[in-house]
Amino acid sequence: MSQQLIHPPALGSTGNVRIGAPKPPVRRRTASSRRERTGALFIAPHMLMLGLFMLVPTVYAVYTSLFATKLIGGRQWVGLENYRTVLHAGEFWSGVVRVLVFGAIQVPLTLAIAFGFAALFDAGVIRGSRFFRTVYFMPFAVPGVVASVMWSFLLLPGFGSYAKALSWLGLGNVDFFSSRLILPTIMLIVIWEWTGYNMTILYTSLKSIPKEVTEAAIMEGASLWRIIVHIKLPMVMPSIVMLAFLNAVGALQLFTEPSILASFQPQAISFGFTPTLFVYHTAVGSGEYELGAAAAVILALIIGAISVAGFAVRRRNGEFR
Amino acid sequence: MTRTSARGAKAKAGSDQVSPHLYGLRRSTTVVLNLIAVGFAAFVLGPLVWLFFSATKSQAEIYDSFGFWFAGPFRLWHNLSALGQNVSGTGIFVHWLGNTLLYAIGGAVGATILSALAGYGFSRYSFRGANTMFLLVMATLLVPLTAIALPLFLFYSKVGLVNSVWGMILPSMVSPIGIYLMRTFIDASVPKELIEAARLDGASELWIFWRIALPLAFPGLMTVLLISIVAIWNNYFLPLIIFSKASLYPLTVGLSALSQAAETGTKAELVPVLITGGLVTVVPLILLFLVLERYFRGGMLQGSVTG
Repeated sequence: MSQQLIHPPALGSTGNVRIGAPKPPVRRRTASSRRERTGALFIAPHMLMLGLFMLVPTVYAVYTSLFATKLIGGRQWVGLENYRTVLHAGEFWSGVVRVLVFGAIQVPLTLAIAFGFAALFDAGVIRGSRFFRTVYFMPFAVPGVVASVMWSFLLLPGFGSYAKALSWLGLGNVDFFSSRLILPTIMLIVIWEWTGYNMTILYTSLKSIPKEVTEAAIMEGASLWRIIVHIKLPMVMPSIVMLAFLNAVGALQLFTEPSILASFQPQAISFGFTPTLFVYHTAVGSGEYELGAAAAVILALIIGAISVAGFAVRRRNGEFR
Repeated sequence: MTRTSARGAKAKAGSDQVSPHLYGLRRSTTVVLNLIAVGFAAFVLGPLVWLFFSATKSQAEIYDSFGFWFAGPFRLWHNLSALGQNVSGTGIFVHWLGNTLLYAIGGAVGATILSALAGYGFSRYSFRGANTMFLLVMATLLVPLTAIALPLFLFYSKVGLVNSVWGMILPSMVSPIGIYLMRTFIDASVPKELIEAARLDGASELWIFWRIALPLAFPGLMTVLLISIVAIWNNYFLPLIIFSKASLYPLTVGLSALSQAAETGTKAELVPVLITGGLVTVVPLILLFLVLERYFRGGMLQGSVTG
């Protein structure tokens, strides 16, 4: 998933960040104004790049979205007309609903599996947990494009190894690319890609719980299940909440997997299967750049709203003082 | 943020864990749990194992033979040599590999340098607007990559960066997570007293950064470099949008073009190229990950401690 969460998200995916607890600017008299300037110079190159490759393009995209290229008269100012068009496009909204449904199932499922394994590894009841942790994390190094290609071949109706295995087991010819199963199939791929990443972060979180906590619980006769669900789970809840938002933002941007599956089964993936596909097909496919820009702005606003909600929740939980 | 080190130490102390026998699990329960772990490992490894064996086969064998073992003549070398030819009409795989290396290394080195400079600036200097700037950087963490790709394309078509190598490398250098990691890392590992002492000795600010801060922050630099390489190596949406020339494609976009050609086209023998290409795309990163795993985990630890 361009969970680039995804990206990976990506590694945009590692966005598990507490907004820097702003330190009160300690202004020592000894800190000369020259030194202040030096500090600003250290951050200047990055801020320049940030401005040029993030802020300027964003502003320019918003500006572009207010125009339309007409057959007669070329590019014309149309105000918010593009936004009206996108907001009235059933195709766009069906994509939004689809990724919301996708996220509502995939995110909890991924986190449950990830937490389950993290807790078992943390408790030490799995033999060779180091090996398993390394294996589970490996898909993180596999591009979504390659993951989708591999799974497409494995699940190819009639030919794929897994599809064949299912029919040998007497489950009939399951068509993983049918319109009914395409979303669960993409979920399977995304879970394959991201569970290990989530597991690694939760495992690290669990490791920071002092072992006295566990020992005390054992003394009181708590079972492993009880310790995991009633003691450790609440303690790593902040990490889980953070990952939930990260995964959700990745799910909303779903693009890579459906776009690759589309080359195996074009009719299963529609023009606006996900909002990002809608943006891509509108702008690059149909050449309606202004309309695509408007759709991209709306999508960014939806994702931004969810991110802000995430921060609000985490702030309420006492993070980022 | 300075508490990171204290908590990190605690995390280490916790690693001598409670003996698993104390949980009093029944033997059958333990066996089942271990089997589940093996099952998930099989789920994860399955596609990768399949990818390896399929890369040694001909097109017909890929579809007809058992997917998890060799079949027919061993064609790996033949398949690999096909990566140097334009079999699909969409471009040459080896060029895409070269492009990805260029973008990943160029972008990641740039991101690491910018992040080190900015992380050090935020960590060890106080200046007017520093907090606002840092909040701005952290806010860009929330900007979805897919939301910025189309704006970049529109901007590029205005300034002539479409189909330019720089159009891919330069935005990859902006890494808010890199800055966050470097700042946290320098907070924890470069003592303020050391910097003050060097200043008293008359060292210049740049010399202190170069000779004192950077060596101490080396593991942090590695982490930022590695996660940047992985992110750029796997990036698909941005290059897909900004490149229309096949000679500039990175691996991800090239493979996607190949998969389209393989599935919709009539040319035979494209599938082995696609699959072998997938293997060549994945192997360098998996090796990098296995060899330098601790640096990847370093990033995870920082993330989770604060998460």
